[in-house]
Amino acid sequence: MKRISISLVSAALFAFSPLQATEAEITLQIPEIETAQYYRPYVAVWVENAEQQSVKLIALWRKEPDWLKDIRRFWRKIGRSEPALVDAMTGATRTPGKHRLTWDGKDDQGNALAAGRYTLYVEASREQGGRSLQKIDFQLDGTPYLLIAAAAEELDELLFIIK
Amino acid sequence: MKKLLLAALLAVSSQAVFAHTLWVMPSHFVLSGDDTWISVDISAANMTFVPDKGVSPDNLSIVFPDGSRHKFAQSYQGKRKSQADHQLVAEGTYLIENGGAPRYFTMFEVNGERKRIMADKQAAASQLPAGATKVTTSRGQSKALAVVTVKAPNRTAITPSGEGFEVNFVTHPADYVAEDEIQWQLLIDGKPAAGVKVELSREAELYRNNAGRVTVETDAEGKLQFTPEHAGRYLLEAGYQANTKTELADAERASLTLTFEVGLP
Repeated sequence: MKRISISLVSAALFAFSPLQATEAEITLQIPEIETAQYYRPYVAVWVENAEQQSVKLIALWRKEPDWLKDIRRFWRKIGRSEPALVDAMTGATRTPGKHRLTWDGKDDQGNALAAGRYTLYVEASREQGGRSLQKIDFQLDGTPYLLIAAAAEELDELLFIIK
Repeated sequence: MKKLLLAALLAVSSQAVFAHTLWVMPSHFVLSGDDTWISVDISAANMTFVPDKGVSPDNLSIVFPDGSRHKFAQSYQGKRKSQADHQLVAEGTYLIENGGAPRYFTMFEVNGERKRIMADKQAAASQLPAGATKVTTSRGQSKALAVVTVKAPNRTAITPSGEGFEVNFVTHPADYVAEDEIQWQLLIDGKPAAGVKVELSREAELYRNNAGRVTVETDAEGKLQFTPEHAGRYLLEAGYQANTKTELADAERASLTLTFEVGLP
């Protein structure tokens, strides 16, 4: 199986700031794809803890429930067992281009996450197209970061900034 | 090519299965829709998931997430494979099973000819012809399994009953992912089946020079582990034979197959 290649770049952007007020910005990019029948991808953005359990669903763009399972990892980690959360977070599918999301460092229950190691996931699945999974490991310890995941078939370069 | 599975041949004696492996192949293993449908192919074949003989769908059933067992709503017996459909209304995990409860058969020899009757040891006593020799009664069971999950998985349908040759799904089938370890336990009448040889194969053998089959043996607790390298559909085959004497039989011959899907990480 081909592994999804991920390149991580980290750089301190700002001076140290306290953990209690995490401010993060995610810029994901849906590529322009030239094809006879283009359908907008289903996209999920979430954070998992070191035990690979989802702690925060940041965004979900989708339509019919029938195809939710095709956002494979999202479905296994969140979708199949958290219908209320899925309904609450559901948004319409988006057009190709840059999409900026913000995250306050809190979990699904609204509590600030403890310091530690986490992973940001962005997964996109397109009808009559492919599936891509981008992954960024990060340390939540008050240090500001800029992290990047390389472009994949269904997702262009992903930027993750912790301020 | 695969070795002849004697147990499968004998236990499904009413069906002409020959030396083939019986399997079921659901159209989906994971579903997220409401009131969704499943189509199941069943066949007996030598090469994993390349249909060869369309077996009877009469013994095909589906266990719902609440544990109730149902016949398929519609089915069709084909030459190369047979097919059945059912609507999956409830959320949870379903077990698809082709095969019945354990059955007894008695082999004997009369006038130099090997014969068989479908009877346990006690029933056979009154049915055996005069002069029957080399009498052995076996309890046989052959079944093909697959597990399908609609939305959140549960375990009611896949919990072992304690009767016959069974799989205890230590890792839930909805959680099988490439590069992650899968664990099963094989049971015979609810007790660990130790030292059972299990063969694992992956779809598309036809397009690989080396089929890459893996053989694993269950440990003292009846457990086996397998870490699939690739996402895809796999077949697990296990045969159990023992000279277990009971009131009804002298030996046990059971086999099962499990079709499962390994997802992308």
